[in-house]
Formats: sequence, C-alpha cells, structure tokens
Amino acid sequence: MDRSVSWTDPKSVALLLSRASGAVQKVRRSARPAPAIADRAAPLAPVAAAPKPPAQKEVPPLEQTSDNPSDRMDALIAWTLDHFPCTGAFVADDNGLTLAAHGISEAHVALVGPMLWAMANVRTIPGIDATAGALLLGVNMMSWVEGRSERGGFCLGTVGEQPLSTRALEQLKVALEVTVGGL
Amino acid sequence: MIDTKILEAAVLDLRNILRDGLVATDIWERSAGLSLAGFNQQPVAVALFTRITIELETSLADSNFPPLSRFYLLDMEGNHTVAVLNHGPILQGMLVDNKRANLGILISVAIPRMIETVARARPR
Repeated sequence: MDRSVSWTDPKSVALLLSRASGAVQKVRRSARPAPAIADRAAPLAPVAAAPKPPAQKEVPPLEQTSDNPSDRMDALIAWTLDHFPCTGAFVADDNGLTLAAHGISEAHVALVGPMLWAMANVRTIPGIDATAGALLLGVNMMSWVEGRSERGGFCLGTVGEQPLSTRALEQLKVALEVTVGGL
Repeated sequence: MIDTKILEAAVLDLRNILRDGLVATDIWERSAGLSLAGFNQQPVAVALFTRITIELETSLADSNFPPLSRFYLLDMEGNHTVAVLNHGPILQGMLVDNKRANLGILISVAIPRMIETVARARPR
C-alpha cells in the first residue's frame, strides 16, 4: 500500500494534484454534458411515440365438436382458461350446482345460486340487463355471465386477480350459449 | 302403446351422457312392474322403488304436502346415488356412481332430457 502523502513534501503534493486533475478530466469526458441554458429553454423535442399497449389477442370462437354434455363443458372450461386472464373457471346451473369446474371449489360455485336469484330481481328494474358481472371474493374477483337454454339458466364464471372486461364477458356469453344450446 | 324404441334410444343417450358413471337404469310401468327398457337392469330394484315411490306419494298426500314432482334422489353408501324419475304411469330408476358422474350434469341435463324423451314415448 502506498504511504499517505506528506503535505510537507512539495513533490508529493504536486504528483497528487496532477493525478487528481487527470482523474477529473476522465470523469468529465465520460459524464453526459450538462445541457446549455439555451438548450434547456428550447421547446421540448417531440418525444418518441409511447409504446402502444400490446394488441389484444383475438380470441378464436369456441367450437364444440361433441354432443356429450360433459365434453362440451370441459371444452368450454379449457377454452376459457386458455384465452382469458383467470386461474379458475366453472359452469353451474341456476341453482348453483356445478356442471364443470377447474381451480375453484364447489362451495364457491354454489354461491351462483343466490347470486343469479338476486340478479333476476335486479332485472325487474327496466333497462337493467344484469346478465353478467363481477364479485370480489376475498382477494380474487369472480366474473360471470349468465346464459339460458331450453333447460334453464346456466352460468359461466371465472376467478382471477382482475374482473374480466365487458368485451371478454360478451365472448364468454356467446361461448356459453353455444355450449348449453346443444344440450 | 308406449314406444319402447324411443325408450331404448333414451337409455342409450343416458349412457352416453353419464358414461361409466351410470351403473344401472330401468324404465318400467308402475302398475304392472313391467320393465320397458334399461341397462344392467335390476328386477329387485324395480319392485323396491315402486313400493318406495307409492309409500312416498301416499305419505306426502296424507301429510298435506305438495305431491311428488319430477324425481327424488337417494344418497347411498359407496358413492352411489339413486334417482327415481316420476314419468306418471312410468317410473325410472337410475343408479349412479357419484364419483364418476357429475351430479350437475345428472340433474340439469340428463334428467330433464330423459323426462322429455319418455314423454314423447308415451301415447297421447
């Protein structure tokens, strides 16, 4: 290790100063030059266009290839999980009885029964559709759509961090109707 | 006359819906106990559920309860569920393995479908 500079030795002090000035020059060369005041007053250059949010992937329509109700429900659940931001999905009848589910307990699905009953009452208000919605379940959001067939009402729901968009709910509704329409 | 071909087609449809969850089913005339169609038929079950259904209907009537509507369910040991469907003069029993068949599909799809089909098979 070098000995510390003796302030009483003019040569050492001169050497130290020369080293220090060289280091400062290096720093200045590498540092970004500060903008001149004139530059600061200049109008802001047009900012490069902000990156567009990633385009929403087009969701392919659900195609049902089987007549079997269980297969149709499974296809609907798989399609939902593949194309929408959710960790669970289910299909229930309007009494809250599970027809198919993935990533959600039957106890949670059962709340569909009273929920759809409440929605039926909400629909008595003119102009209120109330066939889709979202509900906060602790830390998760349950989003659902309701569809009807000859055999009664059915509900397709998802569970995830965020509620689904209205566009997504419309897509789910179409898929649900395609599925239960063939039962 | 009851169209037994429609009933046989209905049983086949039921087997397709419930697959290996359907253990047995039988469709029979309530008064004569005559089996009309089925799968893995159980003559003892026909006699038993005819008796249970008549007792149930009588008990409900005697207690001024609403009459039996479309069906009743029995939860039995060994993951078995029995559904007895009331088609009027025709009864139907289904023995289902509830670990293999989804009860939602049974109640919301299979039973309503069966009721519609048996109604078509009955004379008008």
